[in-house]
Amino acid sequence: MSPGLLAQSLVLGVLTGGMYALMAAGLTLIFGVMRVINIAHAAMIVMGAYLSLTLFLHLGIDPLLSMLLLIPVFLALGALVQWGIVNRLAERDITLTVLMTFGFAIILEGLQGAIWTSSYQGIKTAYSLESFQLFSLYIPVVRLIAAGVSLFLLAGLYALLTFTKLGRAIRATIQNRTSAQLVGVNVRLVTTISFAIGIAIAGATGPLLGMLFTFYPATHWLWIGKLLAIVVLGGLGSLRGAFVAAMLLGIAEQVTSVTLALNWAPMIFYVFLFGVLVVRPQGLFGAVERQSL
Amino acid sequence: MKIERRLRRGWPWAALALFLVVPFAIPEGFYLDLLMFTFMYAAMSVGWDIMGGYAGYVSLGHVGFFGLGSYAAALLLVHLGMPVFVTAPLVGVMASLLGAGLGFISLRTRGPAFVIVTLTFTYVAQLLTLDLKSVTGGSQGLFLPLLDLPANLIIIPFYYAMLALLVIAILVSIAIRRSKFGLGLIAIREDEGKAEASGVNTSFYKILAFAISVWFAGTAGALHAQYLNYVDPDLAFELIITLNLIIMSLFGGRGIVWGPVLGAFVIYPLSAYLVFLLPSRLAGQLHLVALGVVLVLVVMFMPDGVIRTYQAWRRKGPNDYRPVEPQASMAEAAG
Repeated sequence: MSPGLLAQSLVLGVLTGGMYALMAAGLTLIFGVMRVINIAHAAMIVMGAYLSLTLFLHLGIDPLLSMLLLIPVFLALGALVQWGIVNRLAERDITLTVLMTFGFAIILEGLQGAIWTSSYQGIKTAYSLESFQLFSLYIPVVRLIAAGVSLFLLAGLYALLTFTKLGRAIRATIQNRTSAQLVGVNVRLVTTISFAIGIAIAGATGPLLGMLFTFYPATHWLWIGKLLAIVVLGGLGSLRGAFVAAMLLGIAEQVTSVTLALNWAPMIFYVFLFGVLVVRPQGLFGAVERQSL
Repeated sequence: MKIERRLRRGWPWAALALFLVVPFAIPEGFYLDLLMFTFMYAAMSVGWDIMGGYAGYVSLGHVGFFGLGSYAAALLLVHLGMPVFVTAPLVGVMASLLGAGLGFISLRTRGPAFVIVTLTFTYVAQLLTLDLKSVTGGSQGLFLPLLDLPANLIIIPFYYAMLALLVIAILVSIAIRRSKFGLGLIAIREDEGKAEASGVNTSFYKILAFAISVWFAGTAGALHAQYLNYVDPDLAFELIITLNLIIMSLFGGRGIVWGPVLGAFVIYPLSAYLVFLLPSRLAGQLHLVALGVVLVLVVMFMPDGVIRTYQAWRRKGPNDYRPVEPQASMAEAAG
């Protein structure tokens, strides 16, 4: 592999990894606060892509602008679903919540197929195919935009978690739910808000996914596979871990597709996923789960 | 009283006798096809329930074993000329070994690793069959030689094979339920920490349960490939198969021998009828939505399944019924 090609795939890997990090952030946040694996996470991202596509085709709203519309809608939706449905089940039997989110994923996939048919779609804007040359590197504009927007939103999330009272409460709930409750955190409210934030991030990522990749209703299965690999590698519930793992896997994916073959690139996620479970089940940054007898 | 008890004991045998003569009484392909697929799903659901119901570990990956079973049987037939009816149980054993391997990766710890590994395993299996073109034919799939039988009789061997698979599944499930092994699995479901502390080798029990559980999926997949005379990555790894198994188990009742059987006999014919009713352009999509809605509703409002809900309702009277926690003693009463 020539150094030029390596540099090129590193750049593309980092740019794509930024978006992966944003996608995984919501998933790992939701797991962190309520120990629920949201199997429907990628289906919600694809839903965001479809909504953004419709807004773009019928009203001419730029996908980046439509993010501003999607975020509040998904925030409200997430809060409603968590408060009305998921939370009730989680308090009764946590093992069944994964079946519920599996059901949500199936429902979303079926609805998308019924509304938008199951053919391939993509959001093609005026700047979709543009790119520029930096030294000898070829940089597609949409990837740069996606990475920039992702990093901006991730920075916002980081600031929220680090510098605000709500953020402190969320981190406390992730670390130890019972203790958080003991020191006066309203864990129920915090959980609902965190879940809603996770879903809002998923909705916001939709337009980015739609601009970068083609999608159809069943694509969410490919994406949830990638995202689960990222959050497990990073350590379930760890945002920092998700970020590092997303970058790592974004780069690994690009390098594989250049050196080996394009169609083997998805496999790299599963190699890492299964590998990390054998060697270090808690992931790179995850804490070992302690359970009382 | 004696007669009632005899009836209660005897009805599975009566049903079996009835199903054995059905092909002679109603030799119509449509009904035999419907019954055959019901048997297939019932057998796989009973298998799923050994892991999902007894041990309480939800698998989202049974279709991966079903699909790999299809491919293994197809390859054995195409390259070595071994008939599927001979290889199917062996293909099941291969699935079990693979299941034990996956179990080793994901079942040493508690927590969510098992769900994640089983779900992603399906994608890995599908990717492999897509990308190893020289072996599997890629997205073109593989064609299996047809059985040497007249067209209207071709379903008969599959009908009896699936029925046999179901009978084996029920017998295995009953045997596990009555054994110390089954008791250990239920202890794991109720409280894994306490089970381990009281001397249950939890990791070994879970891995063994999963290996047994996926044997049925692998074997059914092998038979299914020969029934269609064709296998490709989309057909073999349809996630809707896993979804069906879960719905059937939950609907009838997890951790009860007859729960998944009842679920399959209700859900499969209903969903076949639904697909028949819907306009063909939207049938697939709306079928998916309907199954998803059923899953969410069952999980929300009837997580104990029809059988336990009915028992609790009859015991307490219809007015003060409350959902009950799954309990070993109740499972025993129904098993």
